[in-house]
Amino acid sequence: MMTAQLSYDAKKKSVLFLLAAAVVVWIIVDAATGGDEHWARVGVRLPLLLTGSGDGWPVTGGFILNVLLSIASMAVATALGTIMGIATLAQRAVIRLPAFLVMNFLRNSPWLVLLFAMLYIIPYEIRVFGMVIPFPPFMKAVIGLALPTAANFSEVIRGAVQSIHSGQWEAARSLGYSTRQIYMHVILPQAFRRMIPGWMNLYALLMIATALATVTGIQDVLTILNTSLAMESERALVYFYLTVLFMFFAYCYPIAVFARRLERAVKGDNI
Amino acid sequence: MTHPEALIEIKDIHKSFGKFNVLNGIDLTVRKGEAVCIIGPSGSGKSTILRCMNGLMPIDRGTIRVGQHQVHSLKTEKAMRPLRHQVAMVFQQYNLFPHKTALENVMMAPIQVLGHDRAEVEDRARKLLDKVRLGHKADSYPGQLSGGQQQRVAIARALAMQPDVILFDEVTAALDPETVKDVLFNIRELVEEGLTCVLVTHEMGFAREVSHHVCFTDHGKIVEDAPPAEFFANPRDPRTREFLGQVL
Repeated sequence: MMTAQLSYDAKKKSVLFLLAAAVVVWIIVDAATGGDEHWARVGVRLPLLLTGSGDGWPVTGGFILNVLLSIASMAVATALGTIMGIATLAQRAVIRLPAFLVMNFLRNSPWLVLLFAMLYIIPYEIRVFGMVIPFPPFMKAVIGLALPTAANFSEVIRGAVQSIHSGQWEAARSLGYSTRQIYMHVILPQAFRRMIPGWMNLYALLMIATALATVTGIQDVLTILNTSLAMESERALVYFYLTVLFMFFAYCYPIAVFARRLERAVKGDNI
Repeated sequence: MTHPEALIEIKDIHKSFGKFNVLNGIDLTVRKGEAVCIIGPSGSGKSTILRCMNGLMPIDRGTIRVGQHQVHSLKTEKAMRPLRHQVAMVFQQYNLFPHKTALENVMMAPIQVLGHDRAEVEDRARKLLDKVRLGHKADSYPGQLSGGQQQRVAIARALAMQPDVILFDEVTAALDPETVKDVLFNIRELVEEGLTCVLVTHEMGFAREVSHHVCFTDHGKIVEDAPPAEFFANPRDPRTREFLGQVL
């Protein structure tokens, strides 16, 4: 057999290439048989999909808002997840057990439910010492998406720390290091490399999940698709949805591929 | 009977993991400048004895004194630290820090734990790497070194702490036969310089040549403790005889 001589990677690559080629062929054939006028509509409205303004400026929403939302959520999730991860590694049960409880609760909640919950739990504004801090829907979306991501990231941290060989602990303890010093100088620098792929995978997942934030009412790409473009013909909407799907794919796939490559690189050596 | 000149004094220590008794009343005395080899079948508690000496494992019963430290009465990691500054350990799996170069591995603990001056420590570390004949590998990472080279860096790392005792836990067991002799050469040098060493080993020839006395452990007890000439030529305990018959 011919295929038996190909490596797994080569086979995978050729299958992916065939799929991509099939998509391109389908688009060309479809465009030639009348799809081109729908694509033209997509082309005209593309600035709106990307930025939320018909002219492409200023940026008020659209896909770019999804990207901003994902970055803001990831920043919050990284900070929260680090605290939660360290808490789940604590020696004292008083810290560890509540952290475990919160982490497991958040990890096992549907993201959409958490988003809705934040919508109702967080008030529109908070008054502190006479100051009024408003909580716009965007902030609620950031927090709603950050919570489950933080819980998952804390697991990434815990997994990375626990994957460090116990001999490292023994060696550091026998040299007289304190627990805090062992984390700082020995465990975390090594665990950090092992966290990066997981962190990136999580970011790709989070980016995909930003589409859920449409329920908070922010002008993200899905909200725009559902409202501003509702008057497009039903047939044209198919092309719009395909375009949005492709946007997410084009943004997330390279990240996932890069994360996987890093993962392989980290697994191999023990540096 | 007490030995005022003894650096390490272990009396009747017991240790069990769940229902399994690893140590069943170990007595052992090590004087300053002595090299003591502990040999015996696997699972007889050899490595556990070493780990009890520097407090890596707590004991259930008995007393351990190392220098002025009453190890059995140290209850927290924090209390153990002064002890560990005096007792260094070298492991079977080297356990170097893979994210640091050989030189940094040797320098880390004296700077970060003992608070010694960096320039002085670097000078000391380079001399120690030269001593284990790895001065030219100072900037290599552990992953770039052979097992034997890693183990010699680990010995330099232990020495950098300027300990009173070094515990060697089957340090040649994971090495290729041809690199074993380099590591043993380094250890022999240390013993000749008068450093107190406790070695768990399977290298019978080495134990015979280097040690001041040899202990044989079986089922958590030291069943024989004698100078090497006597130990190997004329073992008294039948279990020692049987073991030596198998390995020699």
